[in-house]
Amino acid sequence: MRLSDLPRRTSFRLALRFFLLFGTASVALCGFLYWETRNYVIGRVDDWLAHEQSIFSPVDRDTLLQRLNAHLMSDPTLERPITLFDPSGGRLAGSQLSVPSSIWASMPFETAFRFVAPESGHTMLFRGMAHRRPSGDILFVARDMEAAHEFSEVLIRAFIAGGVITILLGLAGAAAVGADSVRRIDAVTRAVQLIVNGDLTERLPVDGRMDDLDRLAEVINGMIGELERLMHEVKGVCDNVAHDLRTPLTRLLGGLERARRRAASAEEYSAAVDEAIQDTRDLLQTFAAILRISEVENGARRAGFTDADLSAVLTDAVELYEPMAEAKQVRLQLLPADAPVVIRGDPNLLFEAVGNLIDNALKFTSSGGTVTVAGFDREGAIGFEIADTGPGIPVQERDAVLRRFYRSEASRQTPGNGLGLALVAAVVRLHGMDLEIGAATPGCRVTISRRKSEDGSRRAVAQHPPSRSDFEIKAGPIKGIA
Amino acid sequence: MTHVLVVEDDRQTAAEITAALNDHGFAVDHAATGREGLLKAAAETYDAIVLDRMLPNGIDGLGVLSTLRAAGMDAPVLILSALSAVDERVRGLRAGGDDYLTKPFDFLELTARLDVLLRRQSAPQPRETMVRAGKLEMDLLSHTVRLGGRVIELLPREFLLLEFLMRHVDQVVTRTMLFEEVWNYRSVEPTNVIDMHISKLRRKLDIEGAETMIHTVRGAGYRLHAPE
Repeated sequence: MRLSDLPRRTSFRLALRFFLLFGTASVALCGFLYWETRNYVIGRVDDWLAHEQSIFSPVDRDTLLQRLNAHLMSDPTLERPITLFDPSGGRLAGSQLSVPSSIWASMPFETAFRFVAPESGHTMLFRGMAHRRPSGDILFVARDMEAAHEFSEVLIRAFIAGGVITILLGLAGAAAVGADSVRRIDAVTRAVQLIVNGDLTERLPVDGRMDDLDRLAEVINGMIGELERLMHEVKGVCDNVAHDLRTPLTRLLGGLERARRRAASAEEYSAAVDEAIQDTRDLLQTFAAILRISEVENGARRAGFTDADLSAVLTDAVELYEPMAEAKQVRLQLLPADAPVVIRGDPNLLFEAVGNLIDNALKFTSSGGTVTVAGFDREGAIGFEIADTGPGIPVQERDAVLRRFYRSEASRQTPGNGLGLALVAAVVRLHGMDLEIGAATPGCRVTISRRKSEDGSRRAVAQHPPSRSDFEIKAGPIKGIA
Repeated sequence: MTHVLVVEDDRQTAAEITAALNDHGFAVDHAATGREGLLKAAAETYDAIVLDRMLPNGIDGLGVLSTLRAAGMDAPVLILSALSAVDERVRGLRAGGDDYLTKPFDFLELTARLDVLLRRQSAPQPRETMVRAGKLEMDLLSHTVRLGGRVIELLPREFLLLEFLMRHVDQVVTRTMLFEEVWNYRSVEPTNVIDMHISKLRRKLDIEGAETMIHTVRGAGYRLHAPE
């Protein structure tokens, strides 16, 4: 930070504004004090002058002359001059005070006034009061005001010095406050610049004071943390997409190049084209599946929610997959629920999810095995489960199978794009349900259920916020129970 | 010759659709905007219109559709859309669309659906209780199927499947169409399972030694051909 930046800082300006306010108040206060003090001193002097006059006025002329001459001896420096003048201004007795002729011209009586008189080479400041005696003589009482004058000068100097110190301290304080906040904001700015440049591991500085700036930094740090997590996941998904599309694209390209190199007859060309068309269709389907998962994940499909008859969906799905079970010599059975199972949802998506799960279960169950589908609406939860007598899913793979493109070692030989369970997970999340992969004895049991709220059979879907990102991989709370 | 108007703003997609429809034996006109589409539809008589849902410059697919319908044009309209949500589809059909196809789609799916729409247009199906195709006879009231007098036992779903095939005899029906019409679900169809249902049905219908009635159309779907 440069000093020239200081006036632009908010905190400095704020401090400066307070300083100006305080300064104005101080000047007003000092002025008031000065004024009051001065009036008090002058008042005291005037009182004294009046008092002296009252002492001398009843005294007869001879005694007065006597006492004035005695006074002359006791006050040679004219601190409290008392002089008796004749009507024409000639000194009769008392202090050797020379009253300037300008004052004689308009001499006020019985009231105190200020005047300057030249005495022994320099001018002296006096305050005096004149009294005309019945004889016409004028008794003049005065008081040297040098001391009082000096006192007010000291007062003014003290006020000025105090003001200067206040100004310096105020400016320094404002600068210090400004510099502190500037230092912290500069630190935040540097951190933000690093983050903008792509370093999401950077965090805003928090110095533990828990003031406004600290609390703001904490919130922003939380946000950056979330952003970092999301970026990480997006990158993961992109890597997967890129990787899993490269393989079929390479195969497609390879097939076409081979055809151009080798194919001799129209039949061979046509076979190569057919192969390329099939490969491209598969690719399109994979893309469509990715788009579909994103679409389901962004939650817009909730607009199509109705009261879906889950029992009917399960019945239809089991019926659809019956020929496949028959071909594999696997028993596919539907256990009827005690009562119709109705949930708020999209029957088309639920059907697709159930279909995918049955398809998967059938794929991994060898002949002679059984796949059991059951809907339930029991105490506390509503949903369905699909159990098979296949090899089951190892505990450590239970989260991973729900990820896009994940193919377990066991499934690499079977056809599929590795997106089926990811779609199931997305549908489950859209419906505010939980997916649990557990073990049957033997085999695998997938339970998809929604906890019931206390008051009704269905939990309002709106209470479930949409998933935090399109790329979130986990489906709700996934519990692997061995 | 069947005359089709394609309203699609993307030049390349439009060219592909045009080529596919030409190969299918249709004459095709192309409009790149909704306004142009409306002008062409007003100037010419088309047997069917393929309409993109999202069009640039003011008037979009649904706007074109409702204007067409308001002007009393009843040519079947097939809507193409990148939006696959169910309510989008419902909105499209409610605005007067006859069918809805989500991008990316297969051109064979497009031509098959257009065939169905054109057939429906030219021969509106009466509310009959008997459906016939060649030697096949289906009684919709008693739910029985006869093939040359012989009763064929079918499961309920197989009955629906055969009914749909018979109603579109000699036309290509895609697996998506079967899944939507017979199973009544709108999601990605499980191709292999539908094939299995078809082969079960085929086994029940086919006579030893004779040619199969349900033909597989490679890359597209199936076609029922029932000889007299």
